[in-house]
Amino acid sequence: MIQILLNTDPISEGYVILITGLLIVFGALVTLALFFNYGLPVMLYLYKIITKGKDKKISEIKVKDNSDFTGEISAVIGASIHMYMSEQHDHESGILTIKQVKKAYSPWSSKIYGIQNRL
Amino acid sequence: MKKLIIIFSVLSLLIFIKPVLGLGTNINAVDSATVSTTQVVDNADDESVLDGAFKGIEKFYNYTGFANATSGHILMIFIGIIFIYLGIKYDYEPLLLIPIGIGVIIGNIPFVAGNQTGIYETGSVLNYLYFGVVKGIYPPLIFLGIGAMTDFSSLIANPKLMLLGGAAQIGVFATFLGALYLGFNLPEAGAIGIIGGADGPTAIFLSSKLANGINVLADGTTVKNLIGPIAIAAYSYMALVPVIQPPLMRLLVSKKDRKIKMKPPRAVTQKEKMIFPVVALILTLFISPSALPLLGMLFFGNLLKESGRTERLAETARTKLIDIVTILLGVTVGASTQADIFITKDSMLIFGLGAISFVIATMGGLLFAKFMNLFLKGENKINPLIGAAGVSAVPDSARVVHTEGLKSDPSNYLLMHAMAPNVSGVIGSAIAAGIILSFLG
Repeated sequence: MIQILLNTDPISEGYVILITGLLIVFGALVTLALFFNYGLPVMLYLYKIITKGKDKKISEIKVKDNSDFTGEISAVIGASIHMYMSEQHDHESGILTIKQVKKAYSPWSSKIYGIQNRL
Repeated sequence: MKKLIIIFSVLSLLIFIKPVLGLGTNINAVDSATVSTTQVVDNADDESVLDGAFKGIEKFYNYTGFANATSGHILMIFIGIIFIYLGIKYDYEPLLLIPIGIGVIIGNIPFVAGNQTGIYETGSVLNYLYFGVVKGIYPPLIFLGIGAMTDFSSLIANPKLMLLGGAAQIGVFATFLGALYLGFNLPEAGAIGIIGGADGPTAIFLSSKLANGINVLADGTTVKNLIGPIAIAAYSYMALVPVIQPPLMRLLVSKKDRKIKMKPPRAVTQKEKMIFPVVALILTLFISPSALPLLGMLFFGNLLKESGRTERLAETARTKLIDIVTILLGVTVGASTQADIFITKDSMLIFGLGAISFVIATMGGLLFAKFMNLFLKGENKINPLIGAAGVSAVPDSARVVHTEGLKSDPSNYLLMHAMAPNVSGVIGSAIAAGIILSFLG
């Protein structure tokens, strides 16, 4: 590398870098573009085959399988979810702090003047 | 106010009685310039104490900025104020211009060298902060934040727009060639060229590796330290994107083309968004490994965002972390423009080249978009305006494209489409930086 830099003039070296540089930048971006245009759909398709459609879209669920699922059941589920969500409390911090309360001194409640003073 | 007057009077009193207490002699021993004159004072003991007092004041005055200011300092401070003004008044990238502007003022307060004050003096606090710039630490951290902010979905939906980000990189290489013709040597020219990438962190990263004033060339000469001028040029032109780009767009894109409506990008699934950073990381870095610090962090940040499991980390990266680094980077880059180092012929040349490179990059993007349109049909046609967003300057250039599109057709929203070449411009300029680094580093 040093040899090349010494022997060639910077301008021609510059042109070499210009052309190769642009080609590499384009090359890298074209590879990325091609991958996301063609490679990614294939990958996702393969993934779908491997996992064999665990989660189905609503349109794919057949009506026949769910003949037992009546309106009442869904109403109950809906109502319970609603109740669960609306009656939820905020998260409160579980830390309890005992605060020391200072009161002004009063002789009326003082232990010194109790009625059962023992020495 | 009263307190201030008291403090000031106490200070001036102290300076007055300093020679009486004999403190002056110690300092005079250090300062060789005034030694001869003070000796005269010492010999003539019968002269009044006032004489010594005036010496003290003179000494104090010699340490102030008023005594050391040169026209260069004043000019740079003025430039700093302009930066702040532009940032506040016109809202041109205030997050960058205001820290840089105040940095320029900080860096150009005149001081006496040798007290570990200046940014270029080893041991000074500013010098330690500047370390992150010189060693290229800040740029990858910024890229981490950018990655955690960026939504690549428009790019995934329409991968062919990625080419526009590549086309705009012609600005990098054209500037590189221009700098060579102007007599800069290869590494310096490479660092100057990256201004055309319109990406501040990338420009700082590359110049800190190539034109850092430390590297020695094959023929024994040391490269110049151009980090300051390059960073300032890159950031100021990035801030000026709303000024530079619109005229070029109107010049190169016909009215009819400006009205082209692109079809809305398809919805992208979360799975694709998660796959993108990993695959793009591997593909781009296998091609250009020298861009590792930049692209590695960029895609890492993006994975933090898209994985859905590391929201906390992504949140930190795109808010607190990038903010901290931006503050440090802005202020130190600004302060690195110390007048005696910054105001040179080279800096002026760099500023000229920077402007040209922005123009070429924008034109490259626009023309390539028109060229792509020759091959595309019907509703797949792209609006050539979005080519201008191929210079990275995220997200400013995309925003400029959007407003420009709205001007010719108020119902044509280009922002989503422009984001695709915009983010691919970031990737493209980082790859270009990697290539230049691997050739010349």
